Amino acid sequence: MSDVLVKAHDLGKAWPKVHRSSDRLRALGRLLFRGNDRDRVSVLQGVNLEIRRGESLGLIGENGAGKSTLLKLITGVLTPTTGSVRVNGEIGALLELGAGFHPEYSGRDNVAMAAALHGLDGTELREKLPEIIAFADIGHYIDEPVKHYSSGMVVRLGFAVIAALKPDLLVTDEVLAVGDESFQKKCVKWIEDYLANGGTLILVSHSMYHVQKLCRHACWLRGGEVAMYGDVFDVTQSYLAWHERKSAAMQPARADAQSGVEFALLGVAINDDESETPALLEMGGTLRIRVRVRSREDRVPCVMIGIVRADGTPVYGVSTEIDGMVPQRSADGEYVCSIEFRDLALLPGSYGIRIHPMDTEGVRVFDTIERSIVMRGASREFGLVRLAHRWQDSTEAGA
Amino acid sequence: MIGPTLLLRFFRRELKNRFAGSLSGGVWVLLQPLLQLAVTSFVFVHVFKARVPGADAPGYLPFLATAFWPWTAFAEALLRSTTAIQDNAALIGKVALPREVLVVASVLSSFAIHCIGYLVILLVLAAFGYDIHLSHLLLALPLYLLLLSLALGAALLCAAVQVFVRDLVQLLGQTLPLLMFTAPVYYARDLLPEKFRGLIDLNPFTFYAEAFRGILLDYGDIPPGRIGVAVAIALLTLFVGHQVFRRLDPHFEDFL
Repeated sequence: MSDVLVKAHDLGKAWPKVHRSSDRLRALGRLLFRGNDRDRVSVLQGVNLEIRRGESLGLIGENGAGKSTLLKLITGVLTPTTGSVRVNGEIGALLELGAGFHPEYSGRDNVAMAAALHGLDGTELREKLPEIIAFADIGHYIDEPVKHYSSGMVVRLGFAVIAALKPDLLVTDEVLAVGDESFQKKCVKWIEDYLANGGTLILVSHSMYHVQKLCRHACWLRGGEVAMYGDVFDVTQSYLAWHERKSAAMQPARADAQSGVEFALLGVAINDDESETPALLEMGGTLRIRVRVRSREDRVPCVMIGIVRADGTPVYGVSTEIDGMVPQRSADGEYVCSIEFRDLALLPGSYGIRIHPMDTEGVRVFDTIERSIVMRGASREFGLVRLAHRWQDSTEAGA
Repeated sequence: MIGPTLLLRFFRRELKNRFAGSLSGGVWVLLQPLLQLAVTSFVFVHVFKARVPGADAPGYLPFLATAFWPWTAFAEALLRSTTAIQDNAALIGKVALPREVLVVASVLSSFAIHCIGYLVILLVLAAFGYDIHLSHLLLALPLYLLLLSLALGAALLCAAVQVFVRDLVQLLGQTLPLLMFTAPVYYARDLLPEKFRGLIDLNPFTFYAEAFRGILLDYGDIPPGRIGVAVAIALLTLFVGHQVFRRLDPHFEDFL
């Protein structure tokens, strides 16, 4: 069961630059007589993928990262500009809305066409049609033109066709996002059964929940290239961490405190590392922060430490003053303090550590240093931290 | 390779497309050629008093009809199928399919519809007492199929180029009447001034106009050499059209 179903080698796609209509004529001439057209904008480059039978791959990335282009290359709708892609099996593809339904024709008509496009002949279609109509569950709309459908209905019908065809490889592009809750559940259930029976899946979704639920591997595309490929939890977490960092960077930078002030930070070490690179931590691990503060008038500072999510949402904050601690004097006008968080309950993702020196009374903030940490771990829990919990036995609860 | 089921689906969809929304539906297939015949008969026979030269010449009406209907099939097939790829951009962008099926289905539907029209016209003319060799209809079939392959070749070429150069269909709309008037559809070759008579052989449709008359009306004869040339032209067009289509096919999505 480990034969390769999809193999992409150095796959790339570039669109021709067509601004004026004369460009089209020139492109035509080049294609006809020279066989290639060089003037292009690249949208996908150097993608190497190998998907084995029975595998499930989530494709994630920002809008415009090349996810849909990659899917279209795999399904054969697009022809690669560089490299090659080979698929050894029947593909069922649900690209964007409708999978090529014609708006003027009835649902029934479109189902027949879709079945023919997948190579079904008349008798096979007659056998499958009741099953398709039952799965889509759109009632009398099946005989209405598709243009009168809601987007959810279009997806229902499209998914029903694919479900009946049971392809070797299922390719879906943001399909689950459109259907209503009950249909989503139905689809997810169907995909789970399909995977359990040895089906292969490529799923494009912006819902990390769906990706983590349905896929074992994930591929993160960024700017047309594979940024990361591997275990679904590692990839989705890095992706989310990157997103959080990105949205944090979009917010206006906070005004930096001046250096000639009464209290200034000399250095911050996270797990003994003073560099600016984000520290990698395992969930349940230990976080040690060591802070050095310079005090102009040699007064004892107060140190405030806060943990925030990369988008700035506060998670936890504490200061030496709150806990009744006093930083130790290490040299003339220099103070040091250390704090340790054990059994770190932060959920996987990216977080910021903010350190502020404050005056002796713990009233005024003088400086800020922000460091980031990335929590790793395979968890599908939601939120920021894991709260201690226990599921109660129903008999126990009833007693 | 085009699957027959898929071709049939697209063929049916094409037919449905044409009659969708029209009250008469399929009846229109029969009605339209009859109306056209009536109008042609009135204008050319009763107003212009057109005559076909020659002692044993057929009436003008069968003379025109035998060449005009194949021309209509050819011209309409070409004009419609040129935009077949462009019109189905939405489908092509979402589903992998052999694209030539779209062009083939479009050409076939034009030829099928006008084949029925042609038969109706011939039967009606025969019923009105014109001397139509209905027993030669089976001989006319290979000729019709040859015209079909010529149309198919030209259609594949045009449909592929149309994706890149959108003016082609407009250009074609202007060129087709020119092609019709330089072929002996409305007139007989003998009516032309001496120096033009040979020139009209450059028009590929000249052969078909005269061959259909030769078979169905026994008017004029076709030397075997011209049949050979016509077969060669049709097959060459089909070959070139198919080659160009295959060459450009991988790039359609980039330009649609």
